[in-house]
Amino acid sequence: MRLKHTTIAAALAVLALYGGLIASLVWFFDAATFRAALASERTLFSVRLSLIAATVSTLLALLFAVPAAYALSRFPFRGREAVETVLEFPIIVSPAALGAILLIFFNNPLGEWLQANVIHFVFAFAGIVLAQFVTILGVAVRMLKTAFDAVPVELETVARTLGAPPRHAFFTITLPLAKNGLIAAFILTWAKALGEFGATLMVAGTMAMRTETLPIAIFMRLASADIEGTVALILVLVAIGLGALFVARRLLRSAAHA
Amino acid sequence: MLDIEGLAARAGSFTLADVRLAIDAGRCHALLGPSGAGKSTLLAAVLGTLPIVRGRIRLAGADITALPVEARRIGYVPQRLGLFPHLTVADNLAYSARARKLQARDFQPLLNRLIEITGIGALLGRRPATLSGGERQRVALVRALAADPRLVLFDEPFTALDEGLRRELWWLVKDLQEARGLTVLLVTHDLAEAHFLADRITVLIAGRVAQSGASTALYRRPANLAVARFLGLRNLFPARIVAPGKVHCAALGGTLAAATDGRGAGKVWLAIRAEHVALRLPDTPPRADAQRLVGRFDAVLDLGESAVLHFRAATGARLEIRCGSRVLRKYGFAAGQAAEIDLPAGDCFVLPDAPPADA
Repeated sequence: MRLKHTTIAAALAVLALYGGLIASLVWFFDAATFRAALASERTLFSVRLSLIAATVSTLLALLFAVPAAYALSRFPFRGREAVETVLEFPIIVSPAALGAILLIFFNNPLGEWLQANVIHFVFAFAGIVLAQFVTILGVAVRMLKTAFDAVPVELETVARTLGAPPRHAFFTITLPLAKNGLIAAFILTWAKALGEFGATLMVAGTMAMRTETLPIAIFMRLASADIEGTVALILVLVAIGLGALFVARRLLRSAAHA
Repeated sequence: MLDIEGLAARAGSFTLADVRLAIDAGRCHALLGPSGAGKSTLLAAVLGTLPIVRGRIRLAGADITALPVEARRIGYVPQRLGLFPHLTVADNLAYSARARKLQARDFQPLLNRLIEITGIGALLGRRPATLSGGERQRVALVRALAADPRLVLFDEPFTALDEGLRRELWWLVKDLQEARGLTVLLVTHDLAEAHFLADRITVLIAGRVAQSGASTALYRRPANLAVARFLGLRNLFPARIVAPGKVHCAALGGTLAAATDGRGAGKVWLAIRAEHVALRLPDTPPRADAQRLVGRFDAVLDLGESAVLHFRAATGARLEIRCGSRVLRKYGFAAGQAAEIDLPAGDCFVLPDAPPADA
């Protein structure tokens, strides 16, 4: 019983920590400032920019992560261990360092050529998407690999003995069975992209009404000592993030009962 | 129908070496072997999920060695059945037809017939998770057969079932196999299952074919010590052939008559099946070829249908004896009781001293 109570206390302490931090914002909460901040064109721009950039970067990440995770889950190949190791790269290197690496890359000849001839990243929307993409790709691959690992290979083998080519078996058996993992991966990586700050700051800068995502906007408000405005934006970010997690849990629960 | 010639394959550190196997059309062939013998590796090579190092696999005269899994037309019922949990029974059964883009008229008549034979018509709208063990087995069986395969591979699909259900499904598979002329490769570690369903048996030990032949022949004459032990033969004693039909066995107290199968003088193992050892009974005259041993019972176990007696000869040798429970009850044999047994010469045979290098 002591173990049970101790572990439950630890779990509730986690809730108390994060809940307490969010609740502490109430101290500086001002309804009028909150309404004004919500209605301001600059806030709406930040919300819109954050939602669009996070969605684009998440979709791009999944486009790479789904096949990469499947390969890691199913096939032995040369370099597999290196790929698995590099997935942790964005976790062990701080987002700011990751952004700095990107910025340095765009200052070498290849990066400069890309910027001049393909797409301009630095201090641009594409830079925000790239910064978020690089930050979330490893996590997305890791989560999707876990989802594919949970689908028995035997089911694919049976599907193939029934005449399904590998691609057909993947789309009709593996992918539907990994659906819960895919949904979870999409929402969690999207939420992570939405809150991304360090790499975005390095690559896209802090230009109001241009590269001002919600986390950048929070940073800029705080830098100008606008505490009430900062609190308002934090609450918006928290609401969107928690909303996404709530939707994810509901979707996963209904998928599990389907 | 299926011809495997000199197949070698590698799965991790395990190697399958020079496997030869032939199954005639319409026959059931059982692949037996202890855990880690290479049964699953061989199955994977035949299915096409494991690339082979050497050799050739022919099915219905065509070389399928290089064909992908989906082009081999081999039905597969794995141990855990592999029913697709997100699809209804109907969708599981129609999966093959959809994957091959078949018209309903090309698969529905066969599917309907199989559904009728196996009695799963009422299950079509249900998901696999809601089915009982027996229902799941039937669905997996129909799904594999509905694809009209040239060969069906069963990988221990009856292992997790209770005895009654297992026997019921054996009959179903046997009836289907005979009625539809199916060619079957059955992987099992259950000797009774192999004897019930298969005409021929191949015993795989340590990645090699240790023996292959008619199921009755394997029962009567295991090829070597490893096969005999795997097949459950317990009464094995070191001996020496002293003349054709005569072996000297110190453990059993002297020279005994046994089938020496044309072998010359030399070291062998003397073998007799537990069910062939005869108890000397007061009201039954011994067989003409009886060879008497005296000793006592160490243990007597009544298993319901049959009984097992552990006999220790005066020489110290231990033998296992199987008989009907009725015999046990009628004569009241008990542990510690002095007894006499007979080793009929016609049931004693010899095995080579060591397994051959290449069986």
